[in-house]
This record gives sequence, structure tokens and C-alpha cells, in this order.
Amino acid sequence: MSDLFFLPHFPSALSQLPWYALLLFGAVIAGEAVERWLRLPRLLGWIAVGAVLGPHQLGALDAGGLEALRPLLDIAIGMVLFELGQRVDLSWLRRNPWLLGTSVLESALAFGLMYVVLLAAEAPPLLAAAAAAIGIATSPAVVLTVARDLRAQGQVAERALLLTALNSVYAVIVAAVLLAWLARDYAGDWRVGVLHPLYLIFGSLALAAAFAGATLWLLRLLGRRHEAQFFCAVALVVIAVWAAASLKLSVALALLAYGAMARVFDRRRLFVSLEFGRVGRILLILLFAISAASLDWSLLASGAFVGALLIAARLAGKALGVLALAPASGMPLRKASLLALALTPMSGIAIVLMHETARLYPQFAPALAAVVVSAIAVLELLGPLLTHFALVRAGETAGEVR
Amino acid sequence: MEPLEFRRSTPLTLGVELELQLVNRRDCDLTRAASDLLAQVARRPHPGEIKPEITESMIEVSTSVHARYPALVGELRQIRDALLAVAEKLNVGVAGGGAHPFQHWSERRIMDTPRMQHVSQLYGYLAKQFTVFGQHIHIGCAEGDDAMYLLHAMARYVPQFIALSAASPFYQGVDTAFDSSRLNAVFAFPLSGRAPFVLTWPAFNDYFAKMRSAGIVESMKDFYWDIRPKPEFGTIEIRVCDTPLGVERAAALAAYAQALARRLLIERPHPVTEDAYLAYTYNRFQACRFGLEGEMVDAESGVRRPIGEDVRATLDALAVHARELESEAAMREIADVVRQGNDARWMRERFAEGRSLPDLVWRQVERLREGR
Repeated sequence: MSDLFFLPHFPSALSQLPWYALLLFGAVIAGEAVERWLRLPRLLGWIAVGAVLGPHQLGALDAGGLEALRPLLDIAIGMVLFELGQRVDLSWLRRNPWLLGTSVLESALAFGLMYVVLLAAEAPPLLAAAAAAIGIATSPAVVLTVARDLRAQGQVAERALLLTALNSVYAVIVAAVLLAWLARDYAGDWRVGVLHPLYLIFGSLALAAAFAGATLWLLRLLGRRHEAQFFCAVALVVIAVWAAASLKLSVALALLAYGAMARVFDRRRLFVSLEFGRVGRILLILLFAISAASLDWSLLASGAFVGALLIAARLAGKALGVLALAPASGMPLRKASLLALALTPMSGIAIVLMHETARLYPQFAPALAAVVVSAIAVLELLGPLLTHFALVRAGETAGEVR
Repeated sequence: MEPLEFRRSTPLTLGVELELQLVNRRDCDLTRAASDLLAQVARRPHPGEIKPEITESMIEVSTSVHARYPALVGELRQIRDALLAVAEKLNVGVAGGGAHPFQHWSERRIMDTPRMQHVSQLYGYLAKQFTVFGQHIHIGCAEGDDAMYLLHAMARYVPQFIALSAASPFYQGVDTAFDSSRLNAVFAFPLSGRAPFVLTWPAFNDYFAKMRSAGIVESMKDFYWDIRPKPEFGTIEIRVCDTPLGVERAAALAAYAQALARRLLIERPHPVTEDAYLAYTYNRFQACRFGLEGEMVDAESGVRRPIGEDVRATLDALAVHARELESEAAMREIADVVRQGNDARWMRERFAEGRSLPDLVWRQVERLREGR
């Protein structure tokens, strides 16, 4: 150690810290700029700054720095899923069963068409199916953030949120089943193919039920003290994310179900206004910026053609599904088309699924990722724009009519 | 300028308009759903009319013209069922009540029609504050002079209608201590209050011509009076009632007004003088603030008694007329309101049990659906 040990030397142990601040600062400024001058969703600004600062562009944030922030991302994703779960009303499906039909149909058609495209691109069948399954999911983070920023209310917004929650669940389940089959192909044990999906689904639901019960009990104990209830909810969501990940369950399914059950169990409607507010907002900004930073945008050029086909197939499948049952479910075709557009964003769950896949079956992840990444990269920017456009054109935003 | 022509209508016929709240089923706040609902409602047959109102969070239903209470209540139920069938499908809650307990008026959006946009520009925040929900009762009159007589004779009973229908104790998230806080939002408008004391249709036309040539009003719609003549329907319109929590209560209030009108037109029990208005605003305040426990002063005799007691005395006098009009069941319901308390009381009790305003709104939604 030198005599002048108290003087700074670079790089310091905290070398990433200013870059995190810069990321947050840049993302917020860019977000406001996008909102004010382009009248587009703020999250486009967050994504752009993340992409520019990330390891694949300027490299201000290296891969290690991003990895250090992973826990924050997990919390952010957990909060988004919990909030979405809390927002959807499953009893609506009972009162309007055509909506359940719509959700199954749009997911199935999107899956089928994407599968065909990937097969045509000579992907191995099971791998193509797994990638198509991941593509079923609409991004909860994007739809929720865009809808909330616009303060959208109406059939397009409500149905977009409901269908997003449902197709995320389908994506998790179908991907789990397919990945289990993939594993069986390699491991040769059929029991894995059956037990793994069952463990994933029922384990996640059981975890969700336990946490929902515990949450309501704790909130009641705390009484009508909003601050305390809020922090209690944040802490429980964090623990739930940790528990789901440690038990190798599906974080996505567990947190969505947790939110939905917390709502169903709350019979007296005491906690209906539970939202994550500013804390959630900071995490959300980081979530979008960092997801964009970790995407390898150079893959965009190489995978552009198949990626574009994949996106077109997905959009066509969702649109067909939504439009086919629109009259029966009580929605004019014009609004149904907008609803289909609103379902375009893809990222959050797809990224989670890819991470989960990578963790469980490291040997498949690179191949799967290469196929999906270019589509995700395009939709990262296109998706929020389309959701924004759909909600504005549907006339469901809070802005004044002048 | 053309004088207003009073269209003759069959005396004592009835019509009801109800403004209803549209709430989401998640946190029970008001939601923008009127356009979506109307688009679906238009596709299925239903009696009466279902129409847009000033904001997207509001919908108005109105009945056709009825001579008798049983048909009126039947039609109101059918309209409600048609509306609720669509609302269920779209996951929208529909509730009665004079005001939403916790909505914030700045969140409201004015409907995109020329008339509504004009009202919004003229009145600014008042137009959005006016996200309150009332019941209007129309009573047919043979001619304009009858209408003006009935309007002024009915004024004495305005506190009764306020107290019987009051259903807006909570406003902007607080207990206002009023039974009907809704009327306070109405009183802010410059042309609210009572109609001028003129007793013939030509005299009313003179007044209207002066107001119009002075540029104060353009049409009858610019008057927000408690009771106003509606010449194009040939009716007087009682506008002080909060929308009750169930359509049956709304029909009973209309039947009460009908029986009262019959008595006033046939028996002409009180002399109609401007002095009758001396205690008008005092009594009206009492009714808004204290409901049926409020105190009503008779300005001429100086007699004061609780409004509930005054309703009971009126019911006795109306018994004959109710029999003629086949509305005895409605009179029994009004008597029940006096005995058991109005909707404002029901709402305060439910809030005390549930301890959350969203929960209260949820119960209001259930009560409209289940009736009574």
C-alpha cells in the first residue's frame, strides 16, 4: 500500500455508481423530452438512453454493472406483475365468457403463426415451439405503464390489461411444458416432462395463495395507515420474488397470481388503491433502461428478416383472434383493431422467460435467444408506440377534448 | 321572437329521468364508459331511452309517458335490466346515488358534443363539479296556466322531495354532514333556485322574452331551477331529487309527486302567494342538511315541524288520490322511507360497517341491481 493511500485511485470500488446515476438522470430527461416534444410515451426515452449507455453501444455500463443491478430488476418485474394481477378482474371472464375465448384464440393463433414462420426459417421444431410460446406474452410492464401514463380508461385499456395478464400466464405454462419436453429429449426421463410443468404451475399458485393470505392479514393488522401498508406490500412482493426464484417456480406466474388473489381475497375492498407510486416508478425506469441496455442491438441486422416475419405473424395472430370474437364479446370492430395493436409490446415476460430458461437449461438458451432477440429489439420501440397510438385513437385517455 | 308554446299533454301523466353513475369494478371510482355502453345498448331493443350526459362517467335513462305507477315501475326495471346486461358484459358498475363518494372532479372528462362543450366553456370547473346525479320527475299539465299554478303550489313540498330522495352524504372523499350534498353543487349556478313568481303562461312568456332579449338565456335549458316548466313536453319538471339507490324508489317518488299534483290541482288547498317563498331557502337548506329530521317552517302560519312528520301528514291527505291513481304501493314505500330513513342514512350505515368508501360504492352497485 502506498503512503498516499487516502488519495483516490481509479477505477474505484464504486466505479459503476456514477453511471447508475447517469442512467437514471439521462433516462428521466429523455423520457420527459419524448413526452413533451414528441407527445409519445416516456418509456421510449428510458429505453433509448439504456440502449445507448449499454455494453453494446457506448459501454458506459458494462455487463458486470448490469448484473449488479439484476436484483432491482427482479423487484421491478415483481411489482409490475403484482400490480397487473391486482388490476385484472377474473370475474369479468365469468360475466363475459367470450373474453376468455378471445384470449385463448389470440394466443393460440399468434403461437401457431409464429411457429410456422420459425419452422420455415429451419429452426428445430421444439425450439421453434418454445420461441413461439415465449412470443405469446404481451409485455405487462409496457401496457401497464403506457395505460397509466395516459390515465386511460375504457374497453380497449381494460381488455388490453386483462388479455396481457392472461397471455402472459399462457406463455409461462406453454413454455414450461415445451422446455420440459426439450429436457426429456436430452435427459431421456419422461417424468421430468410431466412433473416439471406441474411443479411450476401448482407450486406457483400455492405460493401466490400463501402470500396473498399473509398480505391481507398483515395489512389488516396495520390498519388504515397508508405509508405502513405501502412498505409492507413492497417488502412482501420482494420476498415473493425471492421465494419463487429460490423454489425454482415461475416468478411471472406466481406474482401475477399473487396480485389477482390479493384482490379476490380482499372482500371488503380495503386495499383497492394499493399502488407502488414513486418507488415503483424509479424501478420501472431502471427496468426499461436496463432491459434495453442488455439487448444486443447488433443482432438486429442479422436477424431482421426472420424477426420482421415473426412480428408480422404474431400481430396477425393476435388481430385475427381479437377481431373474430369482437362482436360476440361486445366490442365494435374499430376498437377491436385498436385492442389488437395495443397487445403488440413484447419484452418483460419474454426476457424473464429467457432468463428462467437459461437458468434451468443452460444448453438451449443461446439458440433460443438468438431467434427471439431481434424481434424483441424491434418491438421494444414499436410496441409502446402502438399501445400508445391504440389508446389515444380509442379516445380513452384523460386528455381534454378541445 | 317566437313566444314559447306550451304543448298540451294529458294531465297527471308521468315521466322519469335518472342520471346514473358509471364506476369501474376494481376500485369503484367513476370511470369513462358512457360511449362504450351506449354503442352496445343501441344494438338491443329496450323500452324508454338511454342517453349520454355531460361526462363520460354518467348515463341518463328516461321512461316513456305513463298514466299509472305500476307501468312506470315496470318500465324502469326493464330499462335497468337492459342497461345492466350490457354493463356486466363490459365490466362496468352502474350505481344510483346523488354524488360519487370519492371521485375527484378534475379527473372527469366532458362528453364531446357541442352542447356539452359549450356548457363546459361557460361554467369552467363548475361544469365538472356538476358530476352529480339527479332524478327528474315530469308531470303532464293540460295547459300553461295549470303548469304555472302547479309549479308554485308544489314549491312548498320541495323540502320533502329533497329529504326523501337524499343520497349524497359523501362527496370528494369526506362525509359532508349533509344528507344531500349534491344540491350544493347545483346552487352554484347563476340561474338556479326558484322560478319567478308568475302564475299564467303569458306572464311567464313575458319574463322569458325579457331574459332572452337581455341576452341572459338562450333557451329554457339555461334555467337550473328546482322546478321548471317544460313547454315542449307540456310538463313541469321537479329537479331537486338525488337519484335514489334503486329504481323502485325513483318510481315511488314520481308516484308521490303525481298524487300530490292531483290533490293540488283538484282541491287547491293552499293559496299560492309569493309569501309562501319566504321560508323557501331556509327549508331547503334544512332538508339538504338534516334530511327527514330537518325542520320545516310554514312562513304564513309560523308552524314548524320535522320534514318527516310533514310527509306523514301529506300522505294522509293523499290517500284518496293514491287510490284513484293505483299508487297505494308507492305511498307505502314513501311511508317506509319516513320510518326507516332515507338512502343517505343507509349509505352512512353501510360505510360504518364496511369502513371503506369503495366498499360503499360496491354496495350501491349491488343495490341498484337487486332493487328496492
